[in-house]
Amino acid sequence: MSKPSFVYVTYIASTPEKVFKALTDTEATAKFWFGNAVTSDWKVGSPVAFHREGKLILSGKVIENDAPRRLSYTFTPHHGPHDGSDTSRVVMDLEQQKNQVKLTVTHDDFAPGSTVFASISNGWPLVLSNLKSYLETGTTPLYAPWYEENAGQKTEKVVS
Amino acid sequence: MSKPTFVYVTYIRSSAEKVWDALTLPEFTAKTWFGARHETEWKAGAAWRLILADGRLADSGEIVEIDRPRRLVLKWRNEWKPEIKEEGWSRCTIEIASEADGAVKLTVTHEANGPKLIEAVSGGWPRILSNVKSLLETGELVLKEKVS
Repeated sequence: MSKPSFVYVTYIASTPEKVFKALTDTEATAKFWFGNAVTSDWKVGSPVAFHREGKLILSGKVIENDAPRRLSYTFTPHHGPHDGSDTSRVVMDLEQQKNQVKLTVTHDDFAPGSTVFASISNGWPLVLSNLKSYLETGTTPLYAPWYEENAGQKTEKVVS
Repeated sequence: MSKPTFVYVTYIRSSAEKVWDALTLPEFTAKTWFGARHETEWKAGAAWRLILADGRLADSGEIVEIDRPRRLVLKWRNEWKPEIKEEGWSRCTIEIASEADGAVKLTVTHEANGPKLIEAVSGGWPRILSNVKSLLETGELVLKEKVS
């Protein structure tokens, strides 16, 4: 049986530099990634951490950084049913195509018996739909259903 | 063994009716679907054809289920590439669900009999659905022309 791999492609009217910055910037991720703010110096081998309201949600390590074309890090969730013991891998590929960016997120290398695949298959379409809206319209249209206390939160205009 | 399946989910700040119209009406598909248009009476059992901007027949089939603006199921066969047509009938299900906070969840599930149609629609749906989202949220398309 082949190993599970989640692949999501979205096209964004933006530049690779802007998309790469949004994916790696603390304030930007806090806005489109449902309050999950990322911190890292993004050097290969450096830690990556996403915090939400002071709590560690995701951790990882930078595997590859070829800004603004490719970013890869390990992915260990610490929220919901996940206790920080289950590590997989995220690869983000950005390609300029005329006036748009083709963003491909590939999430794979799951541990045997991992339960993370189901969570991320729901999560990436939400996060990447929000990223596209954030970059194209300056708003983030969605709430994440797994943060119930945030359900119904109104869209905030981004001041940029 | 389960059939090869492509699933794509996107969230759009719009209403279910507008998303339905953007996927079905010719004035919208001319923009979002790179000039293609549907030829059908939009009722269960009716023939369905997708015509490319240059008049070529892209796909053909039948409306299996239609429940505007929530669910559309198409029997679908590629017509313009013999090696894909050979795989025979696929089934495409489009589901539109209202989410809280003024957004809709759009899910496209394409089940095929072989890998070639899946490869083709894996290239096509993200482009079309990225365009639908941009058009409804910004009034602009993300991809004005199809780039490979």
